[in-house]
Amino acid sequence: MRSRKLKASLLLVLLGFSTFMCFATLANAEGLTLNDSDIISVSGPSKEETAAKGDAGAEFTGNVNDVTIADANKGLTVADLANQVGQNKIAINFVWTLICGFMVMFMQPGFALVETGLIRAKNANHTMMMNFMVYGLGLFAYYVCGFAIQMGGCGPVANLGGLYPLNSEYVVNLFGKPWGLFGMKGFFLAGSSYDVGVLVMFLFQMVFMDTTTTIVTGSCAERWKFSAFCVSTIGLGAIIYPLFGNWAWGCGWLSQLGVNFGLGHGYCDFAGSGVVHAVGGLTALACAMILGPRIGKFNRNGTPNAIPGHDLVLVMLGCFILAFGWFGFNPGSTLGASGNGALRIGSVAVNTMLAGCTASFSALLYMWMRYGKPDASMAVNGLLAGLVAITAPSGFVNPFAAVVIGWMAGIFVCLAVEFFDRVPKIDDPVGAISVHGVNGIWGVIAVGLFADGRSNYGGSWNSVAGGVKGLFYGDAGQLVAQLVGVATLLGVVFTLSFLWNWLVDVVVGQRCHPKAELAGLDIPEMGALCYPDFQLKTQEYAASTQSSNVGAPASKF
Amino acid sequence: MRIIGVLVILGGWAIAVSGLFLTSSNSIRILFCLGGISVSLFGIFGVLNQYYLARAIWKK
Repeated sequence: MRSRKLKASLLLVLLGFSTFMCFATLANAEGLTLNDSDIISVSGPSKEETAAKGDAGAEFTGNVNDVTIADANKGLTVADLANQVGQNKIAINFVWTLICGFMVMFMQPGFALVETGLIRAKNANHTMMMNFMVYGLGLFAYYVCGFAIQMGGCGPVANLGGLYPLNSEYVVNLFGKPWGLFGMKGFFLAGSSYDVGVLVMFLFQMVFMDTTTTIVTGSCAERWKFSAFCVSTIGLGAIIYPLFGNWAWGCGWLSQLGVNFGLGHGYCDFAGSGVVHAVGGLTALACAMILGPRIGKFNRNGTPNAIPGHDLVLVMLGCFILAFGWFGFNPGSTLGASGNGALRIGSVAVNTMLAGCTASFSALLYMWMRYGKPDASMAVNGLLAGLVAITAPSGFVNPFAAVVIGWMAGIFVCLAVEFFDRVPKIDDPVGAISVHGVNGIWGVIAVGLFADGRSNYGGSWNSVAGGVKGLFYGDAGQLVAQLVGVATLLGVVFTLSFLWNWLVDVVVGQRCHPKAELAGLDIPEMGALCYPDFQLKTQEYAASTQSSNVGAPASKF
Repeated sequence: MRIIGVLVILGGWAIAVSGLFLTSSNSIRILFCLGGISVSLFGIFGVLNQYYLARAIWKK
């Protein structure tokens, strides 16, 4: 009996001692702090050592000696380390965003090749030049006022170090709710906007705007007066695109639908199916409507004729360049690779890849089954349609949803091309309205259906906590927000584009002379053939335009 | 005709947005949005485009 008590007492003592040791260890660990004295003695390799040996094995390049020290007298401090870590995070995000922006800029030759390949050789210089000049014209307009209107009130962006100078949004109060309409800081990138973070944001947003303006040149190819194109592009880059960009991305009223009306996370458009592609596609629709179809596109009874492009090699190459650039477009829209959930870049890239591939597959199958041949140009448009459609949802959906979205986009683009040819009889030489307009809108709606709530970009999106969820994951409000976005694209953006281009039509005149159109726009509009050594079918037309007043120097024929 | 088309298109947007104020039911808001989108599409293809189709180059 006594020995049992003794054993029990010993056991209790042991248990007590163990518990005490555990708590003591934990307390010691919790109290562990890093002081300046702990790191003052940390040293890296000497300069002499590095100079003598070199570092072929990458063993000591990049070490404590490379940490910036604020006060040489104090030496390395914890504050120095913390500052270096913070700057490294922002540096990673700057480099990521800039490289992605450069890739998006490289989409310009992709667009140029696709569009030029899909039109006739006699207009190649004209189409190439339009694609070339959207860069210069659009950039200038965006620099003057477009960026300020779009992002002037966007507020802090943690991934880029704050962007605190962009803090002024024009807001009106309607029915007791604030409606952000446009930004007011950043004109000419002057004043406090001369800020490293703001300039990174400008570059990235500028190349997105450039994509929008280049969409329009495709639908208006082969009949658009170059001067009208210049004026139209400036208006799109300076006002129309930035306005919708502000509403969606710059803390404008669409992005605040979640906060103000409880509609999910407000209008969500991760990389711009709506902001970039639908705006471009609907402007293309407005312009194509005003311009009217090319001569020969429709017969007198209204039946359409196919007008094949002159170089499928250009089309295919351009498409692949675009598909490559899209890896900057979508993953780059995280605006960083470090912090705030930005590691989803892998998911965004895979979604982008999957949707593009499945869309090209479904478009190919559709055309093969319907017309008996696998149509190359529609396979290309299918791939682009999938990429456009996944642009908005890419940051919010899982890979299976990306496959479904892409598959549908491939079918939609084929149906839309047939629809525009046969029902409203709108001539779109490259299918830009179908690819960007129709599938841009499909992408916006897809967010409201397929967003799975797993994304968490810093804990909230559009100031609403948690991940974005679509209808299939339990949030009907998100679908409402997306549909309001679609209604705004059709109702407001299209209207603005139409009114602007109508004005251009009245003042400048949108359509070139019929004789110039028949001759090909290279000589009458641009003064030089793209392929001067080629025997073009249009020589007889060119000769007939020598005496006509179409703006071409007669000596060049 | 073009002005009427523009007004119809804008009217579609107004219908979609008015749903935000008139009801708190998301189902009904979806119906408002779809109705507004349909009206805007009618304005684009049924009114504006008809104006331009009537003057189309291939009809001359």
